[in-house]
Amino acid sequence: MNCLSARESLGAYLDGELPVEARATIESHLAECPTCASELEFMRSFTASLSESTAVQVPTQLWDEIERRLDGPVQREFTLRNRFLGVRRYALAASVLIAVGLGTWALFSLGSGASVARASTVDFSALLDALPKDSVAAFEEFLNRYNARPVLASEAKSSAPQLDFEIPAMLPGGFRLERAYTLRFGDETGAAARYSRNGEFLGAIFHRPVHREEFGTHKDYECVIGQHRGHAVAVGDWKLVHVTDASTCHCVLSKLDDRSELPEVLKAVAPRSMPQSDTKGHSSGH
Amino acid sequence: MTDAELIKGCKCGDREAQHELYVRTSEKIYRLLLRMTRNPDAAFDLAQDAYLRAFSRIGQFNGDSSLGTWLYRIAVNEALQFMRRKGTRPLLSEASSLEASTPSEGERITTRMDVNAALDLLETSDRTILVLRYQEGLDYREIADVLNCAAGTVASRLNRARDRLRQVLGGGYGISEDMAEARHLTDAE
Repeated sequence: MNCLSARESLGAYLDGELPVEARATIESHLAECPTCASELEFMRSFTASLSESTAVQVPTQLWDEIERRLDGPVQREFTLRNRFLGVRRYALAASVLIAVGLGTWALFSLGSGASVARASTVDFSALLDALPKDSVAAFEEFLNRYNARPVLASEAKSSAPQLDFEIPAMLPGGFRLERAYTLRFGDETGAAARYSRNGEFLGAIFHRPVHREEFGTHKDYECVIGQHRGHAVAVGDWKLVHVTDASTCHCVLSKLDDRSELPEVLKAVAPRSMPQSDTKGHSSGH
Repeated sequence: MTDAELIKGCKCGDREAQHELYVRTSEKIYRLLLRMTRNPDAAFDLAQDAYLRAFSRIGQFNGDSSLGTWLYRIAVNEALQFMRRKGTRPLLSEASSLEASTPSEGERITTRMDVNAALDLLETSDRTILVLRYQEGLDYREIADVLNCAAGTVASRLNRARDRLRQVLGGGYGISEDMAEARHLTDAE
């Protein structure tokens, strides 16, 4: 055995993962090679240091948070899953409407003496990754993650009074409201809506402007949709468009053309958003 | 409660069983997530996500691996997805200063603080496999289960991770050759 071969096996030898015959071969080499023997001792020393990890104190409120979320969305997961099993038939249609209201939270003061909520991001990456394969399943997973609760459209609005958005019963182009939701992230609420048109789906997402949204490996780009300036992430035929004003980020996920139908949809869900909205304060991470 | 009773209870959504599973595993899971992300807030959030995902998927647990390994896999995947989204990279500036402060060749840096500081500077995948092996004590087969790869791959990945750790530490065997590779630490895997 030469030193190169020995070196490749030293780690497994140290870890006790070599078979008996291979161990004997290594040991024979180590007995004759001070360099490899020294290398083994060095490796033994720093792996021993690695193993001396300090005890970690699990935050006492961790189980409380898990239990709180268990009492909310997980129990509804089965209802949502069963509902969407029927919806899967429509998954092959052109546009998928994914309305996800996202409660977002940010590390900013809510007013004098107000408590500061935990900072987080809104993470679209898994949703975007799974869109081409199964958009309904991606939506389902995303809703589960963000504590979705099916509600009436009016309740979705009233549960997120800090946001300014609309969930009309009918969108331009003939998309009919299927379901509205509240979503929750930490202390913040958001809203979502799912629409369909002849088996096609379209989604709308409303959340507080956040410092970052996560799109994973997908790139977002600036765009102008009708009277709105915003950002968009494209995944195949899908486009997730974000238009942000002072209070609300309005997101629409669809396969709609951004020159013809999408501007009207954006106007319907964000009627009070200023034309050519400034997108400052809303960045993306990827 | 035996593992079988625990699994059965969790599959039924029994809160006592879920809590028992949490009690038995939370230190390891939280510690793993903390070492992988280097961020207590992220570890806190990811631990919640991992347990919720485990409870929702317990019906799919078929006993091919141990319950602990299965849970590790979920936690590792949550952390890896989080790290990919964040796009984190090793702190090379810190790595450079660490190298500059290391003793000359012939001396060995083996203090726990030095080694663990160096661990924090590695790519997530390297740090993950070293944590699983040397801090969580998993054997190669268990690591292969967690990372969903072949056992032979575990051995080679561990070799690479150890080499990179040593490059950051700045000492040991074949140092001149390895130092030339150190500049590629930021290369995405």
